[in-house]
Amino acid sequence: MNEKDIKFIGKITAGVTHELNNVLASIREISGLMTDILSITDEKSFPRKEKFQTSLGKIQNQVQRGVKLTSQLNKFSHLTDNYKNDIDLNELLEHLIFLTERFARIKNVALQNQSINQTITINTDPLRLQMALFNCISYLLNQTVIGGEISISPEKKGKECLVSITYKGEGINKLSIFKDSTSSDELLSLKSTMENLNGVYELDASNTAVIIKIQSNK
Amino acid sequence: MEKIKILLVDDEKEFVETLSERIRMREHDSDVALNGEQALKKMDDDLPDVVVLDLKMPGMDGMEVLRRIRKAYPKVQVIMLTGHGSEKDEEEAKKLGAFEYLEKPVEIETLMKKVKKAYKSKFESSMMAATFAEAGEFDTAKEIRDSDEEQDEINKDKKKSK
Repeated sequence: MNEKDIKFIGKITAGVTHELNNVLASIREISGLMTDILSITDEKSFPRKEKFQTSLGKIQNQVQRGVKLTSQLNKFSHLTDNYKNDIDLNELLEHLIFLTERFARIKNVALQNQSINQTITINTDPLRLQMALFNCISYLLNQTVIGGEISISPEKKGKECLVSITYKGEGINKLSIFKDSTSSDELLSLKSTMENLNGVYELDASNTAVIIKIQSNK
Repeated sequence: MEKIKILLVDDEKEFVETLSERIRMREHDSDVALNGEQALKKMDDDLPDVVVLDLKMPGMDGMEVLRRIRKAYPKVQVIMLTGHGSEKDEEEAKKLGAFEYLEKPVEIETLMKKVKKAYKSKFESSMMAATFAEAGEFDTAKEIRDSDEEQDEINKDKKKSK
């Protein structure tokens, strides 16, 4: 897929999520109006008023959930806006965890963002970096039988940016599985994405974490 | 409680009409415009205290409407209310003089708090003039008052010519 194709997908997704947000905003106002009316309606003249109020509350909670999802998807679609961009790595990891959470939940794996307080700005391709990290986590999840924890922590060493992905749990015995990059689609994709990013992925000395290394112009 | 006149500008008809109804239930005046051109026409006829303005609309976009409002009616405060706006949009809107930049959907109580704050700020320039006068800086106080009076005259002339 070339840059133009990716931009096209991004543009369409951004437009649709914007419209979806408008739908949710309308549902929210309409259910809000119903709540307002109920709050000034006498209990006697409205049988099962409480049940209606509870149900309206549930609609609003679901709207809130939908807004969060569309907002994250919209943010994701904008990763395609610029081929290279200054990005806040902590923010990108927070976004990654949100997008990956569902896949981890199915495997009963907890995702932990170990971002530090220090801002790490990096000049790179945000979509490809997100893709590399996603492939790495996805591969780990596929190797996991069930349960465990994946923690993600960023670090900056000079002009190099490191993201360590550590798995703790019974599901995988050795992370050395990462060494054979031809063993799965995710690893093949991770390898080619890292090449595009002018970076590498490797195991740490104790074989407990996968480290994504990329150069930043910042 | 003072009644605030609010103009809501958004092309999402059901959204904006329902929001308007909820505002009226809270004892404020609220009117609706479904696009930028309609909003500016309504403002020529009846000036609101605060405008709540969507950014992305067919025809004249929210940024252009904001630009025109700030030029023709600098005393009217504008709150931008948009879905998924970018940081760049927020920066530009603030540069053009938007009072606040909010993301859709917003809690009505949050919106009303901002509307009240915007309404209050309308009177801040006259309070500012009084403060300068008290401090003996009469020239600055006069400048602020003259500018306010000049704007009031423009608005009156516009109404008379209708």
